[in-house]
Amino acid sequence: MAVEISRRRFLQGSVAMTVVGGMAMTPSNLFSKEKVHGEVSITTKTGTGKATLVPTLCEMCVNKCAAMARVENGVVTKLDPNPMFPKSRNMLCPRGNAGIQELYDPDRLKYPMIRIGEKGEGKFKRVTWEEAYDAILNGTDKFPGLAKILDEEKDNRSSIFFCAGEGMAEHTFKIFYEGFGSSNWLNHASLCLRTVVSGYGVTLGAYPMADLENAEYIIMAGANRAEAIVTPDTMDFFKRTKGRGAKLICIDPRFTNTAAKADKWFPIKPGTDLAFVLALSYVAVMEELYDKAYVEKYFRDFNKYKNHLYAEGYTPEWAEKITGIPAKEIYQIARDFMKHAPKAVYYPGRRSTFAKNDFQLRRAMAIFQALGGGIDTEGGLVFGKKLPLKGHETVAPMYAQAQGVDVTRAKSKPGYDDCAIVSGGGSWIAFRNRVLEGRSVYPIRGMFLYKHNPMMNMPNSAKTAKFLKGLDLNVVIDIMPSDTAMYADVILPECTYLERTDPVKSFGGPEPSIAVRNKVIDPMYETKPVIEILRGLTEKISKPLFEITKKYDEDVQDDIANRGEEEVYKDFDLTIPFRHSQEELNEHAVSDYPGAYEALKKHGVFYPKMEEYFKQVSVNEHRYYPDEAKAYSVAGGKPKTPSGKVECNLKSMARKGVDPMPTWRKEYEYSVPEGKFRMLTGRHAQFTQSGTANNAMLHDLIHENYIWINKRVAKKMGIRFGDLVEVSSSAGKVQIKAYPTEKIAPDQVFFIHGFGEESEALTWAYRSGGNDNAIIEDVVEPVYGGAAMHETNVAIRKV
Amino acid sequence: MARYGMALDYKNCINCKACEVACKEENGILLGADKHRIWVGVKEIEGEFPLLSIASNTFMPSQCQQCDNAPCQEVCPTHATYYDENGVVRVDPDKCILCSYCMNACPYDARYVDDRTVTVDKCNFCSDTRLARGETTTACQATCPTKVRIFGDLDDPESELSQVLREREHFTLKTHLGTEPKLFYLI
Repeated sequence: MAVEISRRRFLQGSVAMTVVGGMAMTPSNLFSKEKVHGEVSITTKTGTGKATLVPTLCEMCVNKCAAMARVENGVVTKLDPNPMFPKSRNMLCPRGNAGIQELYDPDRLKYPMIRIGEKGEGKFKRVTWEEAYDAILNGTDKFPGLAKILDEEKDNRSSIFFCAGEGMAEHTFKIFYEGFGSSNWLNHASLCLRTVVSGYGVTLGAYPMADLENAEYIIMAGANRAEAIVTPDTMDFFKRTKGRGAKLICIDPRFTNTAAKADKWFPIKPGTDLAFVLALSYVAVMEELYDKAYVEKYFRDFNKYKNHLYAEGYTPEWAEKITGIPAKEIYQIARDFMKHAPKAVYYPGRRSTFAKNDFQLRRAMAIFQALGGGIDTEGGLVFGKKLPLKGHETVAPMYAQAQGVDVTRAKSKPGYDDCAIVSGGGSWIAFRNRVLEGRSVYPIRGMFLYKHNPMMNMPNSAKTAKFLKGLDLNVVIDIMPSDTAMYADVILPECTYLERTDPVKSFGGPEPSIAVRNKVIDPMYETKPVIEILRGLTEKISKPLFEITKKYDEDVQDDIANRGEEEVYKDFDLTIPFRHSQEELNEHAVSDYPGAYEALKKHGVFYPKMEEYFKQVSVNEHRYYPDEAKAYSVAGGKPKTPSGKVECNLKSMARKGVDPMPTWRKEYEYSVPEGKFRMLTGRHAQFTQSGTANNAMLHDLIHENYIWINKRVAKKMGIRFGDLVEVSSSAGKVQIKAYPTEKIAPDQVFFIHGFGEESEALTWAYRSGGNDNAIIEDVVEPVYGGAAMHETNVAIRKV
Repeated sequence: MARYGMALDYKNCINCKACEVACKEENGILLGADKHRIWVGVKEIEGEFPLLSIASNTFMPSQCQQCDNAPCQEVCPTHATYYDENGVVRVDPDKCILCSYCMNACPYDARYVDDRTVTVDKCNFCSDTRLARGETTTACQATCPTKVRIFGDLDDPESELSQVLREREHFTLKTHLGTEPKLFYLI
């Protein structure tokens, strides 16, 4: 089997690097300088000889689809879909196929590194793992270590915060955070789906899945399943659109690929979906189209909601003025939806918070869905079943000196300064701004970051840069030299998903299963899985940090006087959760299921009776569960809220200053000043945020992002296709090429997220297109502190 | 011995390009928009915002049509393009002299120059990769999220492909040219 030129050169390059290892090198030496932009193949034709097939789970986005990796002579030559996983059916999207390019990306982080230049300058030197751990504990002449910081902060563990992107090993990293004892955990949720998960959570008791395999009528509003692929929804759905069983109403300001598959498309004014849903609900309630039996049995405060809809006058005529969707169409959609209900879905979506009213929008959507009775039932929204896994040993010591989560209570107002509710994942944007503006309750000094890129993923990159520069100790665990990694003091290189076994995961739904990411090849260079990184790190820091606790923590001092130091330390021993290998932990996790561990090794997937149930039914399709065994309905339609009812009116929210029922407010109305444009962002199928920005294959499909601008407006402004324009807001400016199109309104512009990285260590991604978060202003959604990403108006100028 | 063909349920296509990537990774195809064995044709939308014609914005997955009467084979002066035992139109890199007659002759624009093998290349239904290993699907078919493609043996009346073509209406591209394509688009 032939290994192509560039890959061979790249492997040779790594040998050369090993020889010079240990010397202080400039970043241009440490990161790859291989800039082959010519006719050199980076793909490898698969062979016909000996090969091993390893079942794994994709990590090119959050879906975790099952893949089968083909390994020839130690090289991964192909990723194919693994048909045995109910969630991903039998497919891999373009990103899943391009996972090989992540593994063999010459720009990967290869060795532990510590900063030798100014923070943010991107100058590092290669060190050993031991040296990197030592720098984290004891610092260097450039930055202080944990020991100094925690001593100065008198063992306030919360002065170090932890943040992580979504992923199967996020769990492993979070265990470290829990043992470390900080109160400040920031995950991607407040930059992502916090409001949708919570909106459905408080209304229906859970964030449900949509049964798009059986729904007959689907409203997809602000979700773009043709381009933002979610499994199994995308696969189930688009086989049935276009007059083939599923009617699709697409509501989106832009004409997307999902709109291209719709029966009807309505370009709603951005941020006004709430008015649309309230009007749909108005029609369903006033015309008595709703499922009376369901409402009678499972609604709480229905009459209150009904009176509210009536009193506020949420008629389609009212909504037409706000949303731009004709009243007669709103009547029609409400009637059609209820006619098809319960096999009708108002699709919940899984996206960032776009507007300030997003939490209320999600509540209104959940209630409207429930009015048709399509809850916990085939063709509607479903909760499904989940196969439980066994936990493993962790430590969660009590540090008396560790302060609570860094938020300030609002003076004379219910709730907090920034938002009404502080959730587990925090509000990233509010946290950042608080630290930056000196409003923290106590000093925030350092950060452990795992698989996360706040420089790219959080609105107002300029503020994020300033924030990261201001911290004393930044430890970054990642696979790529991202924009955020450039601000690190210590970089710990993780291996890619194809080089590690991750915590086994249970996937709930109508067809529940357990799946595992098996290691395909050994880690390249000096990279390690995060569990091994944390094993080494905790072995280094656990005892010295305990010494600091002993010095300041009176409870611990008393405890030692009573029980002796050795006994007390057992509660503070951070190494405990990382002592076992991931394989051992996984074997334990599934030990309640006979044969599961072996099945997971062999097939990557397990569920009870799999051998009996699973079979191929056509060249493309498989059966996972027989129809009678699918868990579409687990409680006969009963919501999962503590009350067992659909919550129309949340009194607890009212106490925090949040509308207890979804309510439209004047300030939600859409308006753009003359000469400006509303900035929209979004996704498409060939990129997953900034994480795939440097993937050679995906970059080849789309070299850079273009800004959509209405064709007629562009003509007036003298902007033609490919012209460079400057887009500016109060947050900053970017330069990006123009794509004049009729798929967007005259007062809006759009470009996809994930482009325009500034890290010079990224050959392909460096300054390729524009970064949306450089110009999106940091608007905080008031309930959960989510970043509201469609609230920014921009100016455009031809460069 | 078979007569391989393919049916495309093209209305399922969401233009995600999984097929293009799978094809490149499987067959070691060079990167670059002009170096592809398969592609998705996109038609720019008609109308003015907000009055756009949904039906005008179509996605048409395509590749070599594997003609039974292939113009590219007919014009090849060195017999580099040939029909293999399964009816697949193949290219012999040793015989190709890059005269590019085939590129001009192909009415589907399915041929391009592979700069490594220095051959006018095209889709060969994964004949020298997957099929050579005894697999029964092409890379593009296997990976497709919405399952656009059904690959199979047209000579086997029991194959799913034959059944689908018996049961469902379909059309071929540029039928009037008499090329007799073995790719069938399902209506």
